[in-house]
Amino acid sequence: MGNASDAMQVSASGMRAQAARMRIISENIANADSTAREAGGDPYQRQIPVFDTELDRASGINRVRMTDVAQDQSDFTLEYDPGHPAADESGYIRTSNVNMLVEMMDMREALRTYEANLNMIENSRRMQERALDLLRR
Amino acid sequence: MAGDLTGVQAYQAAIRSAQAAAGTGSEKVEAGGAGFGDLLAEAISQTSNSLGHAEQMTAASATGDAELIDVATAVSAAEITLETMVAVRDEVVRAYQEILRMPI
Repeated sequence: MGNASDAMQVSASGMRAQAARMRIISENIANADSTAREAGGDPYQRQIPVFDTELDRASGINRVRMTDVAQDQSDFTLEYDPGHPAADESGYIRTSNVNMLVEMMDMREALRTYEANLNMIENSRRMQERALDLLRR
Repeated sequence: MAGDLTGVQAYQAAIRSAQAAAGTGSEKVEAGGAGFGDLLAEAISQTSNSLGHAEQMTAASATGDAELIDVATAVSAAEITLETMVAVRDEVVRAYQEILRMPI
């Protein structure tokens, strides 16, 4: 419609992307203790959201979208737990490569970016309303 | 939201009946370009569309098909369109009243 409402659409896409990122972070935190069922299996592998620019051809605006969810290739941690069903012959189990501290920081970042986009929407709206005030007098 | 929508539809109906009653008058207006009635009718149908879209999004979010932010932006866009239309109408009506008060 207009630039201000386009800006709102773009900010809304940013908010959607951050909400999707929040979902990935929740999956990581919830599965931090997930291990394999049997010896030799892989535990939960940390997921990383990948964002990409998406051009909307109809209106020519660049939105953001979570295009892919990649797997974190870093090493799993080893834990000594001989009674566990997933333990190898020397008694070690492999646990997920999720680091709670990193997830917490990611969560904060997602929240901050979400708020930034929210502020953009509020300000775009304020611009429209200020222009409308000209008509009202 | 539903109240607003029916209000807009009532407005459209009123304009249609006014145009029908005008008869030859509206043809004269068309000769000089789009009249105020056409302008208003177009603005109203646009407002009606965006209000309808906002309502669809609200319904979709209730069934879990749309995200909250989509509802918020759709409702906000509809609100701006409606406010613009109302502001323009007020302004034109004020101008018309100004003419009515003019001493002849």
